[in-house]
Amino acid sequence: MASATVRTDRRNALLAGLLLALLAIAGLFVGKFPITLEGLLGGDDLQRRVFLTLRLARVAVGVVGGFALGVAGFVFQTVFRNPLAAPDVIGVSSGASAGAAAGILFFGSAGAVTGCAFSGALAAVAAVLALGALDPGGRKHTIVLSGIAIHALAQTALMCLKLTADPERELASIEYWMMGSLSNISAHRLGGNLTLCLLCLGVLFALHRQIILLSAEEGEARMLGVSVGRLRLLVLMTATLAVSAVVSLTGLVSFVGLLSPHGARLLNKDNRPGTMLLAGLLGGSLLCGADILARTLGSSELPVSIFTSLVGAPVLVYLAVGRRSRV
Amino acid sequence: MSLLEVRHLCAGYGKKRILEDISFSLDPGELVGVLGENGSGKTTLLKSVCGIQPHEGACLLGGENRESLSTRQIARKISYIPQRSGISIDLSALEVVLMGFNPQLRLLEYPGAAMKRWAGQALEAVGLGGRGEENFQSLSQGQQQLCILARTLVSQAEVLLLDEPESALDFGGRYRMLGQLQNFLGQGRGALVTLHDPQLALNRCHRLLLLSGGKLMGEIFPGRDSVQDMEAALEKLYGGLSLLRVNGQYVLIPNAK
Repeated sequence: MASATVRTDRRNALLAGLLLALLAIAGLFVGKFPITLEGLLGGDDLQRRVFLTLRLARVAVGVVGGFALGVAGFVFQTVFRNPLAAPDVIGVSSGASAGAAAGILFFGSAGAVTGCAFSGALAAVAAVLALGALDPGGRKHTIVLSGIAIHALAQTALMCLKLTADPERELASIEYWMMGSLSNISAHRLGGNLTLCLLCLGVLFALHRQIILLSAEEGEARMLGVSVGRLRLLVLMTATLAVSAVVSLTGLVSFVGLLSPHGARLLNKDNRPGTMLLAGLLGGSLLCGADILARTLGSSELPVSIFTSLVGAPVLVYLAVGRRSRV
Repeated sequence: MSLLEVRHLCAGYGKKRILEDISFSLDPGELVGVLGENGSGKTTLLKSVCGIQPHEGACLLGGENRESLSTRQIARKISYIPQRSGISIDLSALEVVLMGFNPQLRLLEYPGAAMKRWAGQALEAVGLGGRGEENFQSLSQGQQQLCILARTLVSQAEVLLLDEPESALDFGGRYRMLGQLQNFLGQGRGALVTLHDPQLALNRCHRLLLLSGGKLMGEIFPGRDSVQDMEAALEKLYGGLSLLRVNGQYVLIPNAK
């Protein structure tokens, strides 16, 4: 018979799953272009096309992307034993931003921007992990310090790109990309990203027990038979690949990766696989909910990070002051 | 053959030498205590034997050079209890004990029902029966040490390295812990334990290594060496003291000065 904590984990996951499903269904029908069930079933061709190519794709990215950001946040906070750790720690966001800016300046098309953002994120992560590998002790703080250095370099590259951008068009596009939005998502350019994201998530869930072992002090983990350096590289690389796949589609999305794991731990009070799942479900719900607000509250589409930050900032203060969640 | 053989071990932090030319061995069934003042190199010695502290010299595990073994192979042969566990996330006591099975599990494998049962029994053996679901972080320091001891008990390692495992335990708990360890060693294992309490060490260990300023000053075999010899050896470490034997138990009294 399942223990009380396992039952709590299951109940919370079920409720969060229901919330995510409701938000996803709402997200399919809410927006500037009206879509109704009657229209879809009654053969309205335009409605069906918008539904299949835009709305469904947008919701898929909201669900899978938010889920991936939540799970990656859980992984980073656990591996670094730091409640403020997020994929940004090792330069994913700054690399993606510099890549996206280069894509906007030199190519312009949405597909190229996605590709460049993805390449930028990967280049930043590869550089951080390569620098970290130079430390023979393979210590965690070397990776964090390398992340700070690469973040600074990527920010410098971004500033240089912004200086050369046309303020009316390209600079505005770069700034808008950095605020995050799901408005440019369409079905034909998300298959690869979502597949990669789902693959990475599968690997991370399979490695959950190892991720928990990595949370022990380094020497202790080694004496438990963990090849700390190699395993940490594998886990961080997989988590950042998933995040890169998401942010290259959506632009930067604030707070989802930071908040969702905290929320999951507050609810479950443990670090079992069920809590990692809950972090993902809460991440998906947060991104889907923010996206619904982003497309309904203003006369034009608003950046999604406005709403994820609106929820995130007060919760972060609550966590900092209340300290009810321990990583 | 010795379970562990340490030859000419030297270690330090940067240019500072902490250990100088240490050699000793550990045989099956042996409980060996390491005594020394603060800063004498006890923890560095254990970490060097584990391989988590850079050092010179050789450590042989069952005749095999530790350097030739993988991390997983070393973990199958050595179980190490640090002074304080570095676990800082919310895990149940049972989950912490189950970590001890990791060297026997494949990368993606999870502990099965038998392992969970075994872990529960280990918790019971250290006096934490029925507390497996409790959060490890909410346990007292002493209970956390017992939980980590249970994790060591479930590992199949032959060599146990324990760094002051009794430091947070009460008077009775310290004797019980070393008693449990002795029972465990009956299964062909050996343990090297750093201790702060020489009286506890004299009454529970088969042999004592005396460490001072990073050097091995001598060995004591309680029960075999004469009280006078042991007293003289301990005085080199702790200064003036008197060693008595009362009802088969050693009693150590520091001199007034």
